[in-house]
Amino acid sequence: MYSPFPDRGEPLTKPVELPQGTLEMLILKAVSLGLLHGYGILLRIQQISGERLEILQGSFYTAIYRLERRGWIKGQWGESENNRRARFYSLTAAGTRQLKAGTAKWIEMAAVVAGILDKKADEI
Amino acid sequence: MSLLAAIHKLWHSLAPRTHSDVEEEFRSTLDAYQEDLIRRGLPEDEARRKARIDFGQPAAQNETYRDAVGLRVFDELSGDLRFGLRALRRNPGFAAIAVLSLALGIGATTAMFSLIYAVLLHPFPYAGAARIMNPVIINEQHPDEPQWFPLNKAQFDEMRHAAPVDSLLGFNNSHMEITGGGLPEAVYGVYLTENAGSFFDVRPLLGRNLEPSDAENGGHAVVVLNYRFWQRHFGGDPRVIGQPLEIDHAYYTIIGVMPRSFAFNDTTGVGDIYLPDSLMRGVANVPYTAYIPWVKLRSHVTRAAANAALEPIVRQFAKEHPERFPDNWHLALQPIIAPFQQETGRTLTLLLAGVVLLLIIGCANCSILLLARGRTRQHELAIRSAIGASRWRIVRQLLVESVVLSSTGAVLGVAASYWLARLPLSLSPDSFPAESVIRVNVPILAFSIALALVCGTLFGLVPALRLSRRDSARMLPGRQIGVVAAPAKHRWSVLIAAQVALTLLLMATAGTAIRSFLELMRMPLGYDPAHVMGLGIMLHVHDPGAWGRIQSHDGRSTYIEQIREKIASVPGVTTAAVGTDATPPYAGAERSFDIGGTADREEPQARVMLVGPQYFAALRIPLLQGRVWNADENARGDFIAVVNRAFETRYLSSSNALGRQLRIPSLTTQNRFAAASAQSTAWRQVIGVVGDARDDGVDRPVVPAIYLPYSAFMLPYVQFLVRTQGEPLTYLHSIRAAIASVASDQEISNGASPLDEDIERDAQYSRQRLFSILFGVFSAMALALALVGIFSVVAYSVAQRTTEFGVRLALGAPRAHVLWVAARIALVSAAAGIFIGLAFDSFLGAILAHWMQSAFAAGSLFAAAALLALSSLLACLLPARHAIAVAPAEALRYE
Repeated sequence: MYSPFPDRGEPLTKPVELPQGTLEMLILKAVSLGLLHGYGILLRIQQISGERLEILQGSFYTAIYRLERRGWIKGQWGESENNRRARFYSLTAAGTRQLKAGTAKWIEMAAVVAGILDKKADEI
Repeated sequence: MSLLAAIHKLWHSLAPRTHSDVEEEFRSTLDAYQEDLIRRGLPEDEARRKARIDFGQPAAQNETYRDAVGLRVFDELSGDLRFGLRALRRNPGFAAIAVLSLALGIGATTAMFSLIYAVLLHPFPYAGAARIMNPVIINEQHPDEPQWFPLNKAQFDEMRHAAPVDSLLGFNNSHMEITGGGLPEAVYGVYLTENAGSFFDVRPLLGRNLEPSDAENGGHAVVVLNYRFWQRHFGGDPRVIGQPLEIDHAYYTIIGVMPRSFAFNDTTGVGDIYLPDSLMRGVANVPYTAYIPWVKLRSHVTRAAANAALEPIVRQFAKEHPERFPDNWHLALQPIIAPFQQETGRTLTLLLAGVVLLLIIGCANCSILLLARGRTRQHELAIRSAIGASRWRIVRQLLVESVVLSSTGAVLGVAASYWLARLPLSLSPDSFPAESVIRVNVPILAFSIALALVCGTLFGLVPALRLSRRDSARMLPGRQIGVVAAPAKHRWSVLIAAQVALTLLLMATAGTAIRSFLELMRMPLGYDPAHVMGLGIMLHVHDPGAWGRIQSHDGRSTYIEQIREKIASVPGVTTAAVGTDATPPYAGAERSFDIGGTADREEPQARVMLVGPQYFAALRIPLLQGRVWNADENARGDFIAVVNRAFETRYLSSSNALGRQLRIPSLTTQNRFAAASAQSTAWRQVIGVVGDARDDGVDRPVVPAIYLPYSAFMLPYVQFLVRTQGEPLTYLHSIRAAIASVASDQEISNGASPLDEDIERDAQYSRQRLFSILFGVFSAMALALALVGIFSVVAYSVAQRTTEFGVRLALGAPRAHVLWVAARIALVSAAAGIFIGLAFDSFLGAILAHWMQSAFAAGSLFAAAALLALSSLLACLLPARHAIAVAPAEALRYE
């Protein structure tokens, strides 16, 4: 597995492997924070996660394509910061709804799972 | 504009991104990553390499995209398709045989479907044809003879306003003549109520149809032409609209020409000209004003409900005119297709079964070819499987190939069906509605596409499943060595047996059909139809001058006899005889009679035929006893009768027939256009007995008949039977001239026809001929397919086992033995097929006999089996010969 930033040394913790469907949620979140091109989304997720997530670049674009096909994000050609043509993605209305629903579901599930796992034997 | 924009938007949201678009985006990401890496100190080519390792190649990105958005399956299918087409091009012989087998089956099935569609599902051009009903009276004593009933004006209006009736058409038919030209020409006129235009809602080819305004002022003198009449009389001249047409010495304006598909109506006679019905009341020469009704029901009304609603109304009519109704009856609304449904439906079902068999045989043939060829592909499939193709993927590839085959077959088949579907119509025209037009349309195309897909999957599935089995380890070694390359289980042997069995079924059916047709042709008719024609004349009831001369009984019989003598005097005419409604094979009207000298019977009935004394000579009906009446007796018409042998056997068997008495109480009339002799209903003495001549159809037993002098009862219409030397129709012109010497404006009606043509047009005769020809063709096709199947299986296996045969021969195997080894499996399967077929057919014979209306002939079954066995043997041995022609050294060189 290759991290995009191999020269920064080993991350502090072992990289977290993403459960199925999570990458899509993360992309939606990243895009919701502002217009981003593909590589920008990748950097943004890495940055927010404090470099603890490693994303397989191979599957990254598959997720982007799928989100666009479902109409949750929308791509438009524009100029990048260093004056290159790049495709910028923004959240659509359906994407906003999906992000909201997905976030709520994720938090709820995480809380339930964490609650179960935190229990000690005498608490049951 | 907003719609266009919406479509544009929809397209954008659905259309996949282009290849270059996807690639460009990916490249820009790759570049950004690469720059990042360089910025972090990697050398440029290292960074470039790393970026591509992490993200992937830009060239491959489009595939990732199409996979992600779910388009990949289409890409693969189109790849399969291209590959399939290539594979077929590499094997043109195989492809040609497979496509041809399917084209035959699909073509024949599509043809039959389009025929069924045109004839049974959608035969009429009228708007809402399914809602148009033909109200008939069912006599409960003779329920299978529905009876039409006419309405008068008041009754018509009453029925028109009945609740379930959407609109009501009234019509009446009339024999008319075109006058004003050289020789008068008889035409069949149909008076239609003026709502005809909206009732039928068929767009006229030229001009307009009848409209309600044509009823004004006692009816406008306008006429609409039937397409065929327009072609016949005007040569299809489009300038006829607005031209005058003289009918029965009155002028009419031509306002429209109907399209070819409009031929109202099949049941009472297709009209040449259509006239507004209001004229009928104005023209005095029509016997009585009456309407035959056609009811178009409202769209939500069921037939049963409409029947119940109309019955009380018709019961009321029956009270007004009890003489027109039988004692016990009920009303039935018959869909206008009903007269054709039963017999035609049976014919078409049988033919459809035949073509479906043919299609199955064609499919089996393709399966056999694919399986036999399969061994040449095992190597390729093993490699595909070894490098990771799933079984499903291989099955799909093989199925796509077979669908390519079947679709090609379907294209050819649909093209052929256009011609094939016309065959039954031209072979048996009277079995089908005149208005059914066969054309390729959307339902038929949809049917053939579905058929192609089903066939492709059907015949492709067995070979595909078999060839995709994962025993690649066995298949992968370079080529199959092995002196005795033990052939694995041959699925195709089962298919060959099935194919042969079905072929035998078709051949036996064809044999039966041909046999019963031959029997029908050989059946003694009791009369000699060769060189005899029937022709009719319509007496001039409309012309007061002429009518005065022929209105009386004696005047009319003299006039008829004069014309007969003139016809007989034409050189080349051997005999001319009067025989109204007495032309075999359907002759005479059923009437009850009383018979003297026996106990009362239950209403005995016989065909009564009104003929002249020359009738028996003209038809060569032999006189068995007694004598035929002379000219004087003929002119008087009373007191004598001649009967046929069937009559004698049934009613007079107890004693000598001659001298017995009979009388026909119904032989009288109130109709002022008919004329009966003075004592037509009095007792008559039987003076002669003649042989039986077919009078109830060519294939039905002769029914009892009474022959009377025609002057006993004369209608305004007379038929003559004319025996000539040579082709009768060539005398028509001189006969016309001869009649003109009696009365210059006396025309001959249309439809003069030789009696042997009448037989050919007979429904049963033409249906039997249709069956024999079509099933003959089907079974020939099936036989060809089965033989091709057997031939190619043996040829393939011989080609693949060259080495084995070479070794066998080198080791001294007798040639006969090698031949047997090569042909064995195919021979055994064919033999098994024949035995299965024989067993199956004897069981099926009874069912088939019912449908074909003729006995299933065991003889033709065995003849078919023998023919099939012989030709299968040939199909095995011809390719097997190559096995013994192998030069041992040549064969071994491959090792």
